[in-house]
Amino acid sequence: MTVMVELTDVRKLYNGGSPQAAVDGVTLTLQQGEFTAVMGSSGSGKSTLLNLIAGLDRPSQGRVLVDGVDVARLSETELARFRRTRIGFIFQFFNLLNNLTVLDNILIPAQLAAVSPAVARDRATALMHELGLAEKQMLFPGRLSGGERQRVAIARALINQPLLLLADEPTGALASRAGEQVMERLTELNRRGQTILLVTHDAKLAAAYASRIITLSDGRVADDSRLKASPEVAPSDVLRLRPGEASP
Amino acid sequence: MSLRFGILGLLAEEPLHGYEVKTRFESLLGGTWEVNIGQIYSTLQRLERDGLVAPADDRGDRGKLPYHLTATGRRTLNDWLRQPEDEPQPLREEIYVKLLLAGRLANGNVERLLADQRRVYLQRLKDLSGLERRSRDEGRDDLALLVRGAVFHTEADLKWTDAWAEEIRRAPKRGGRQ
Repeated sequence: MTVMVELTDVRKLYNGGSPQAAVDGVTLTLQQGEFTAVMGSSGSGKSTLLNLIAGLDRPSQGRVLVDGVDVARLSETELARFRRTRIGFIFQFFNLLNNLTVLDNILIPAQLAAVSPAVARDRATALMHELGLAEKQMLFPGRLSGGERQRVAIARALINQPLLLLADEPTGALASRAGEQVMERLTELNRRGQTILLVTHDAKLAAAYASRIITLSDGRVADDSRLKASPEVAPSDVLRLRPGEASP
Repeated sequence: MSLRFGILGLLAEEPLHGYEVKTRFESLLGGTWEVNIGQIYSTLQRLERDGLVAPADDRGDRGKLPYHLTATGRRTLNDWLRQPEDEPQPLREEIYVKLLLAGRLANGNVERLLADQRRVYLQRLKDLSGLERRSRDEGRDDLALLVRGAVFHTEADLKWTDAWAEEIRRAPKRGGRQ
């Protein structure tokens, strides 16, 4: 297994009246191909952790390595390049540009990373096909449902074939069925090797889709659990109505 | 109690013999409640004694006899279906008692027990989510809703372990002993 992300004793302090640690001594490793969820209540430090891994924030202390690169040592220009090429990011509120079509939204990161237009186009076509957006490519985001917008955001996040896909509450603004569809897409991407880090406060979402759950509390890792896949568990091993009466 | 009404409900659809009642009951509940055939027969006998069901025919092997619902049976079933359930909240799981005792007897182990219990609940959420999805895929939306009920309960259990752990973190001295 290849290590994708390695955090060593990472602290992030914010200066208010007195300095507050949003992330307070986190050490953890994410392997390539893992689907990990970071859980925690608001203020537990999970978004800060995501921003540190994404290179949107620099640690106050400790080291963040992503694919062997020490994120804090990069210049602003290098960091921007690093984010564009290695990290895909999806957000709760999609963050699409409403005056661009679906296709053009998806192509933006490729243009910023100077990927050749023909290559970018081919990738976009494949992604739209895979995500069920082929029919929608000339539409503007305003014409799409929430679930479709998030799928556009996923395509945009993947256009530069990032090593790591970060998803910050990706279903937070979606109705439950649309949310499930988005999560099923992410699961399918993971099955084909995409490393995913999901941040959510929703335990069911984390447990249903991720194979590992890291729980943060007060900026620290309170728990790190690996869950077993359970495709063929017998119903009565999971759920039993009135067990007292059920057993002979 | 609900095995009795489960049987009445199934017989309201059509007359069934004992073994059919067993398989239909288990399939209704998606395998979350396995009953043995003896329980079915003894319940049918009690229902017959109470005049709620009657054998469709009184000849032949008792095991093969189809039973049907009597008029009284139908009325009893309808009354039951209309009534909301109002019993004290059941908390049968031993973990509740275990944590109360662990807090008093061995302070240091409560956090460990809570952490381990939390993992059990997370794994259960995964297993239940899988079961919910499978139920939907098999066209059993009613069963998926039953499983969803268990998901909500497990989410509540998880919140409860978090609340307990939080309490210990904020005030270590107050973990158990009062």
